[in-house]
Amino acid sequence: MTPAYLDLARAHAPLLMIVAPLLGAALTLVTGAARVSWVVACVAAGIGAYAAIDFASVVLGGAGQAIAGVGVALFVDGVGSFAAALLASVAAVTILAVGASLKDSGAAVAPLALALVLCIASGWIGALVARDLIAIVAAVETAWLASVGLVMLNAQRGRGALNGALRMLSYGGVGAAFMLLGAGMIARATGSFAIDALPLAHIQAHNLAAAGAALIVLGLAVKGAVAPMHAWAAAAVGRLPTTYVLGIGVLSVLGALSALVRFSAYAIAAPEIGAAISATLAVLGAASVIVGSVQAVGARNLLRLTAYAGASQAGCVLLSIALGSPAGFAAALMQLVAFSAAAMALYGGAAAGRVQSLEMLDGYGQRAPLASAAITLGALSLMGAPLTIGFLGRWRLVEAGVGAGWWWAAALVVVASLAGVFYGGRLIERMYFRRANAAYAGERGVWRIALAPALIVAIATVTIGVAPGFLLRAAAAASLKLTGLAS
Amino acid sequence: MTPEIAMFCVLGAPVVQALLVMLIPKPPGLRDLIHIGFSLFAASCAVYLVSAVAHGQTGYIVLARPLPNVDLAFEIDPLGAMMTAVLTGLGVLHAVHAAGVARAKQEREPSRMLAFIALAMAGVTAVAFSANLFSLFVAYQALALAAFPLVAHRGDSEARPAARAFLATLLASSVGCFLPAIIWTYAISGTLDFQVGGVLAGRVDALTANVLLVFYVMGIAMAAIPPMHRWLPASSTGPFPALVTIQALAVLPAGGIGVLKVVTFVFGVGMAEAAIAAQALIVLVGVGMIVAALIALSKQDIRERLAYSCMAQSLAVVMGALLSLQPGHFGPAGLFAAALQIIALSCSAATLLMGAGTTAAITGRTKVADYAGLGRVMPWTFAGFAIASASMIGMPPFAGAWAKLWLITAAAGSGLVWAAGLAAGAAILTFAHLGPLAASALAARAPTDAFKRPDGASILLAAPVILAAAATLSLLVSVNSLAEFLAPIWTARAAP
Repeated sequence: MTPAYLDLARAHAPLLMIVAPLLGAALTLVTGAARVSWVVACVAAGIGAYAAIDFASVVLGGAGQAIAGVGVALFVDGVGSFAAALLASVAAVTILAVGASLKDSGAAVAPLALALVLCIASGWIGALVARDLIAIVAAVETAWLASVGLVMLNAQRGRGALNGALRMLSYGGVGAAFMLLGAGMIARATGSFAIDALPLAHIQAHNLAAAGAALIVLGLAVKGAVAPMHAWAAAAVGRLPTTYVLGIGVLSVLGALSALVRFSAYAIAAPEIGAAISATLAVLGAASVIVGSVQAVGARNLLRLTAYAGASQAGCVLLSIALGSPAGFAAALMQLVAFSAAAMALYGGAAAGRVQSLEMLDGYGQRAPLASAAITLGALSLMGAPLTIGFLGRWRLVEAGVGAGWWWAAALVVVASLAGVFYGGRLIERMYFRRANAAYAGERGVWRIALAPALIVAIATVTIGVAPGFLLRAAAAASLKLTGLAS
Repeated sequence: MTPEIAMFCVLGAPVVQALLVMLIPKPPGLRDLIHIGFSLFAASCAVYLVSAVAHGQTGYIVLARPLPNVDLAFEIDPLGAMMTAVLTGLGVLHAVHAAGVARAKQEREPSRMLAFIALAMAGVTAVAFSANLFSLFVAYQALALAAFPLVAHRGDSEARPAARAFLATLLASSVGCFLPAIIWTYAISGTLDFQVGGVLAGRVDALTANVLLVFYVMGIAMAAIPPMHRWLPASSTGPFPALVTIQALAVLPAGGIGVLKVVTFVFGVGMAEAAIAAQALIVLVGVGMIVAALIALSKQDIRERLAYSCMAQSLAVVMGALLSLQPGHFGPAGLFAAALQIIALSCSAATLLMGAGTTAAITGRTKVADYAGLGRVMPWTFAGFAIASASMIGMPPFAGAWAKLWLITAAAGSGLVWAAGLAAGAAILTFAHLGPLAASALAARAPTDAFKRPDGASILLAAPVILAAAATLSLLVSVNSLAEFLAPIWTARAAP
């Protein structure tokens, strides 16, 4: 009996990836008690992650399979399956880490916070497997509004969170408008809302379609905290020194970037508009690398610094997909993994000690050695230090860029790494070579479960950097099945 | 024991050493015993590797394959084996000396300092044994990160900015110049593996070769090529054991070894395509040698003076390596000069810095003017100091003399007489900033209040200085056999 259910679950894995977190969200709200709801959320996120990883291994390891139509049609492609597995894994780790912050915002709101994190995951995974552009917009907005809610829940800690939520709402509103308008323009130009129709349609109104695709790219770029449209990110995460920050700074941004990669794969494959989208992505990517790097170098708040460094990394993702080649998309997927790992290590390490300003890092190496180790490894990965996954991602981008003759893209990667040396080196110096100042010298209580996910991810940063074979193969397979599964 | 196992031991022993020293900080005696014992073990394995290479054995180990077609791999070659043997051999003396200084000066966090000294030694060993450009880059970065805590060790307002400058210069230059050069090389040749005769030989036009050479030489900032040398004076804020590691045994020699490996195995001896950039860089390093020696003359703090003096010597390594790219038959002479210069620099600088460390530990003096007459009360230490100064200057029969002789021969033989002149000028200026100092220490009247420590220098502080000074005599009897030992690295191109 059980194998039959498992087969059924496998056959509908994409649906399960979306539904499991949603059901989990509903159950957490029903249970009420903080700890119980956390356990329920962990189970739901775990099921979703297992389903996503299992599905990705099937899809990327061999031939694809037909997906059952379930009302809103699902359509799984290489990028979608890879990114969904990554996103579901990040969601599971985030939920695990959130266990440490259940009482920070009051035990009463903990179930709601957990439900919102699950909704974020479900929404973004939905955007990665949806076929219809309108369905994608709906899924993105579900995830986005859940993110805004998560930030708002922390408003009782100070007005900073409220300000962040307000910014998210306004920026996200603009992004949503862009996306809806873009979807409409594409439908008008191609005669269909289906994402897979884009590369195949005989587009008559080139400019309309290109403008529509560019608007969708811009809308997703806003939500992915791509500079210079990332002002919401620093405001939202800068005053959120709890593990909830992972839900915004990593899960939400990763989801948006993944959706952007997926949509771009189809848009660039359309011969009539591909060049225009590629140029848009290249300009956005270059701007994001430069602006993000400069802001990260000047940042005085660790959470903001991580957000800015994430913008720089997002720029590298955009540059990778702008190349338009399978090698470029493989590089983009590697960079998504690198971004997730580094951001989780940094945010997680910071949340473990409630660190906000860089001054609070002084002497952190002695007060919280494990959290400091996580931050160090995350910083090294952001620098692109060899034998970390950050190096791997950047190397693949440079390799793909040089192969395409985009030397300037390779130069921008070097700029991003150089900036990483400065801001990453500053973090390490503060943690290990400064004495804790009086205000924070006695702070304790960082040896908590919050550390576990950050540490696991930090160790994975190096482990995968040393032996990245399976990840490289998965990214390569995903990039070869960009716009649909091989039959 | 096989060469592979020996190589594992040389690379891994310092890492284990660092872990143990950190885990067992007390009692200090046990900690120091571990530190010295592991250094001795690594040096023994390195000597075995020299013997293995001399008998024609080879070894290749792959630690990881982080990229398709690119391994994190290490290989035994004559250059790496020789450099590792010299550096780990001196490392044993330094381990003894560092233990002595840590006790005499009651350094804060001695375990941490000793651990990072060990890690830095692992880094330079990895640089010497790197089998490809990727491994060299990884080892280079690891060494920079391992040496950074040594510069920042004191953690005060002077050390922190210095450490930042140290790390920023080394990492920024490697990421900004070295890494792009590696990527470019990979794009051209499709491989990053070192090859005798040069990976790029026959594959690049003159413009590419010249630009790549500039990128490589500027990217390997550990060789202290101006303007990438700022890390070297910045490192002077570290405690003396850290200075020995950085300027004599690990970071500065790693720069020389890195440049030598790139020139030998990426460009190839006598690669005429890169001759223009090579000449321009020779001008830069030649003038840099003169200016560094002049700046050293102006410095009154012994640490700063020795830092600039070491910089001038390190630039002589780079000059030798660059001379090997000149057309003609004197390419191997340039390489040999560079290899000898690394050995001479390590022996002499280690002696001088350990001598200065001993002096600071037991007299508290770090100003050049305060050295007058100290040789009367510390005869062993200042005998070593004087020998090492003579070697730095290039006086026969000490190590520096043979290196400078070959350097001037290579320069003159390649038709670059002015380069020989610059090297000779730098030697004269080295005499000016080290000769009178050593002479004054030995000949002036002894100060009456010399010792801060009532019991004077312990044997842990004095013996390593005099033994390292004795090492500068080693080349007197081994130059010819060293040339035969190193010949395989340039034979492939020079033979036809």
